Amino acid sequence: MDHDAIVWREWDGEFVVRNERTGSTHLLGPLAGAVLQVILGADRTLSSAEIISGLRDQAALDTADPETEIEAVLSEFQRLGLVDSERR
Amino acid sequence: MILADLSSRDLTRTLADGGLRLRTGPVVSRIRSGLPGVAHGIGLHYADHTVEGADGFADFDVRIAPPRSTRRWIRPQVYFYFEGASPFLPLPANQAFAMLEWGLNWCVSKHCHQYLIVHSAAVERGGSALLFPGEPGAGKSTLCAGLVSRGWRLLSDELTLLDLATGAVVAMPRPISLKNESIGAIGRFAPRATLGPPVHDTVKGSVAHMKAPADSVRRASEVARPRWVVLPHFERGAAPHLAPLSRARAFMHLADHAFNYDVHGRRGFELLAEVISGTDCFEFRYGALEDAVAVFDDLARRA
Repeated sequence: MDHDAIVWREWDGEFVVRNERTGSTHLLGPLAGAVLQVILGADRTLSSAEIISGLRDQAALDTADPETEIEAVLSEFQRLGLVDSERR
Repeated sequence: MILADLSSRDLTRTLADGGLRLRTGPVVSRIRSGLPGVAHGIGLHYADHTVEGADGFADFDVRIAPPRSTRRWIRPQVYFYFEGASPFLPLPANQAFAMLEWGLNWCVSKHCHQYLIVHSAAVERGGSALLFPGEPGAGKSTLCAGLVSRGWRLLSDELTLLDLATGAVVAMPRPISLKNESIGAIGRFAPRATLGPPVHDTVKGSVAHMKAPADSVRRASEVARPRWVVLPHFERGAAPHLAPLSRARAFMHLADHAFNYDVHGRRGFELLAEVISGTDCFEFRYGALEDAVAVFDDLARRA
């Protein structure tokens, strides 16, 4: 991910994200926003397990099946061009 | 000078000859037309607006004129010309003034990229701006007309101009476009308002314009700080209900309804974020104008 290409704002747990590469703006819920923050806070490509660990550190994970939910978020990020496939 | 200083005859002659340089907020349009309906509409709705000198600069050069063909005589039509070109299909001649209004909106939305332009009505009280972005038919123009009839200042009915440097709303008071049932509703709600004659069978149904209050036109140079973003929804018979809307969703709504959000790229995003950070955002369902005015008067009192 090109961190400089992503600009975002958060209000009350909801996020808006602009992707400079596509020119698109997206609305993200709390979990997707937290995933994005973990990814943007890293200086290298993270695995799904590392993202889940990062979310737990932030107490931002409140789900019974984190792997499935995080994979769904990452797939959506990939579709939107927010992350590259090399991350996986 | 203001347009009311011109006699009807001088207005007609100016429009037909060199053109009328009409100031609407930050924009000056050179308008030419030999059609009586256009002269009447401008005389009625822009009486308080400033007329610039004949040699002054104009942002837009527009003309409303009939075709040169026989359509001039048989079921007559009119064209809107911008810088000599006609970007739209012609309309029936009785829609000439409405076409001028729609054409001027088009000019601003397509060219005034010194602003972020949101498809939204905007009114002001106490320096704070209330924005009504919304789909056609949501009731934003009706709300706007109702509020400016009860002391709010009209900033704009259709196009909210956000200053790229400050995020302030730059006023561009022009006639308010009322459609279908809202024409009668405003006629009853604000009997002293100046309404033009309704034109039927337009692409938007029946349309009539309401003159901007003189005070709003006089104060057009005063900017306002966005304070509220409200998504209106008219529902016949509904009790007024103002429900909080998350800022992120309000942001997306403004972005979706901005004409030139993409033109401004990252700056557009940052500007909207600044605007949203400084506003309270709501969804508003209403069924009666009296109720709506009371709700927003109360909102302004508590600000």
